[in-house]
Amino acid sequence: MHRLPTLLCGIFLVFLTSWVGIVAYSALHLGRLAPVANADLGTTLPPVYGGEAVAGEQVYANEGCVSCHSQQVRQTSVTSSDIERGWGSRPSVARDYLRDSTAFLGFRRLGQDLSNVGIRRPDALWHYNHLYAPSSVCEGSVMPSFQHLFSVRKIQGQRSADALMLGSEFPVKPGYEVVPSADAKNLVAYLLSLRHDYPLPEAGPLKDAPATPTH
Amino acid sequence: MSANLFPVHYSEDAQKVEGGTGCVAQGGGIDSLEIDDSLRIPVLALFGNAVHWLIVAALISMVLSLKLVIPDFLGGIGFLNYGRLAPVARDLFLYGWASQLALATGLWLASRLSGRPIGGVIHSTLLICAIVLWNLAVLLGSLAILAGYSTGVEWLEYPNWASGALFVAFLLIALRSLLLFDCRINDRAEVAQWYLVAGFCSFPWVYGTANLLLTWKPVQASAQGPIHAWFSGSFLALWLLPIALAALYALIPRLLGEHLHRRSLAPLGFWSLLMLGGWNGISRLLGGPVPSWMGAAGVVSSVLFLIPVIIIAINIFGISPSSSDDETSIGKSIPERFLFLGAYALVTLGVLMAICGWPSIGGVLGFTGVVEARTQLWLLGAVSFPLFGVLYQAVPHLLGRECWNQAFSELHYWLSLVGFWLLIGMLLLGGLFTGLALNDPTISFLNITSYDFPFHVMEWVAQLILLAAAIMLGFNLTRALAVEQLFPKR
Repeated sequence: MHRLPTLLCGIFLVFLTSWVGIVAYSALHLGRLAPVANADLGTTLPPVYGGEAVAGEQVYANEGCVSCHSQQVRQTSVTSSDIERGWGSRPSVARDYLRDSTAFLGFRRLGQDLSNVGIRRPDALWHYNHLYAPSSVCEGSVMPSFQHLFSVRKIQGQRSADALMLGSEFPVKPGYEVVPSADAKNLVAYLLSLRHDYPLPEAGPLKDAPATPTH
Repeated sequence: MSANLFPVHYSEDAQKVEGGTGCVAQGGGIDSLEIDDSLRIPVLALFGNAVHWLIVAALISMVLSLKLVIPDFLGGIGFLNYGRLAPVARDLFLYGWASQLALATGLWLASRLSGRPIGGVIHSTLLICAIVLWNLAVLLGSLAILAGYSTGVEWLEYPNWASGALFVAFLLIALRSLLLFDCRINDRAEVAQWYLVAGFCSFPWVYGTANLLLTWKPVQASAQGPIHAWFSGSFLALWLLPIALAALYALIPRLLGEHLHRRSLAPLGFWSLLMLGGWNGISRLLGGPVPSWMGAAGVVSSVLFLIPVIIIAINIFGISPSSSDDETSIGKSIPERFLFLGAYALVTLGVLMAICGWPSIGGVLGFTGVVEARTQLWLLGAVSFPLFGVLYQAVPHLLGRECWNQAFSELHYWLSLVGFWLLIGMLLLGGLFTGLALNDPTISFLNITSYDFPFHVMEWVAQLILLAAAIMLGFNLTRALAVEQLFPKR
């Protein structure tokens, strides 16, 4: 251990154990998982999602949503609370993330888990209101407002179909409306696409669909 | 300032000393002035930049804590949103502060322990270029995140051009430090020197692999979870911690004028740390979407991590100050206190990791403040405190004069100590409450958020104290550098 080459060789070999065990194994094995065909549904799983949702995933990354939200339902052998809380009908498995470009597993739950937010909250308008003024639909939420993903504009003729319906505690100038930007629409399309309620061979049986959403 | 901190005939091991002269009794180091001259500009540049990033990171962390108390604070402004500021604070702390200070520490210790200067004009120029490149990457990368160009991968949020620049800048600085090991004057390498080599080797490996597979050319997302967990564990345990440990092993025995306690255990501590450091990151995937053996490996490595921690504790805490020293001076100097604070944080971390590694406990505490407490014990505690010690020890050597204002140093120490333990305590308590509540599905999520509120308030207070500490250090360092001319005649 007193000569550089000897020390470097030792360090190299020791580092190699975790590198081969975790990195190489994951890249070669988990990285080569493929979608599975499901005869009952006549499709391959996990389902592919549309262009808006793909663009929305980038917005999710850029806005740093992963700082507060996880996207994983943990195995019942470790904790059953994720499923009991209605965050999913089965634990997440590696194959669930095939369609993503980044796996947003998360590390802190300052907000709720979002693996199945598309099932719990299927209404796009609810998400627009929630993103613009979280406390308008979720009293006591610590989520910040994402007003910068919306624009306030003058109503030209008729109100836009996607204009937000805000309560009196969020006043908008008369004659003006709040409309989501393309980023907000993509983000919401992505959130609505987050639903892992399909069967996978390795994932175990599905529990009943999540109960009525709780905040 | 001790002029003979790095004597020529130093031995860490009591048995190896011939003539029974002890370890700090042997006059000044070889070419001591030449070494300090060659190190002065690059190391001070790294120190200065690191400290100003620390202040910015502490400021943003304080704002983030406040945002959890008052969600509308600075609301509605895209680049000041929680999701954009949080990665900036994390990365500034990681790359602007901790890694940069680790580079400075590595360079300083590598040169001083080897007894060799870092070389002539070419080497210095190359180092300065690397330092400029590193800081530009940190600055522009952080601005890119604020502007909405984050990759969304925790700790690797910088866009590809910035992470590439960090990688190149690191290689330029690390290569010089590695080569110093080979031309050292001591035949028998010190424990600190092994740790330096290990740290400098691991950064390119860990950072390069993670960036390549997660951001530069991402692998299929199904494989990203374990790779990212490996990266986050290895970055702390194989890059930052070894450099901090090098500081503990090199400076504590010298400052106390004694030898390492049970040095024969040190190789076991070294190799077990390197072996387990790569594995313990996956403990965060407990119950996650990975093969179950990975979860089990995470549990085993988290518990076994106690082995290197205990050995390090024996080596460091076992040192009893030599009786010949002036009793009143022992345990009083600022560097020494910071170094010991780091060692205490490391022991706390080892215990916490072993407890949280246990599946039934980890399942309850996962995703709560306890996870954040663990990260802070690593970054603020086990890494930053020893590096603070180095900073306080090295600057007077480099300037060739006493330069610290004792009152500011004291204030920095006490604010850091109080802020740190308050933050850890509140995160642990808050995490425990939230974890237990999350485990009870009858309690609504919003209710749990309200449980967390008082802890968020106290975390904000702690962050405010830590910000004050960082400002105090910045003020002290600026004063030290500016009070007299930078290059005193000696």
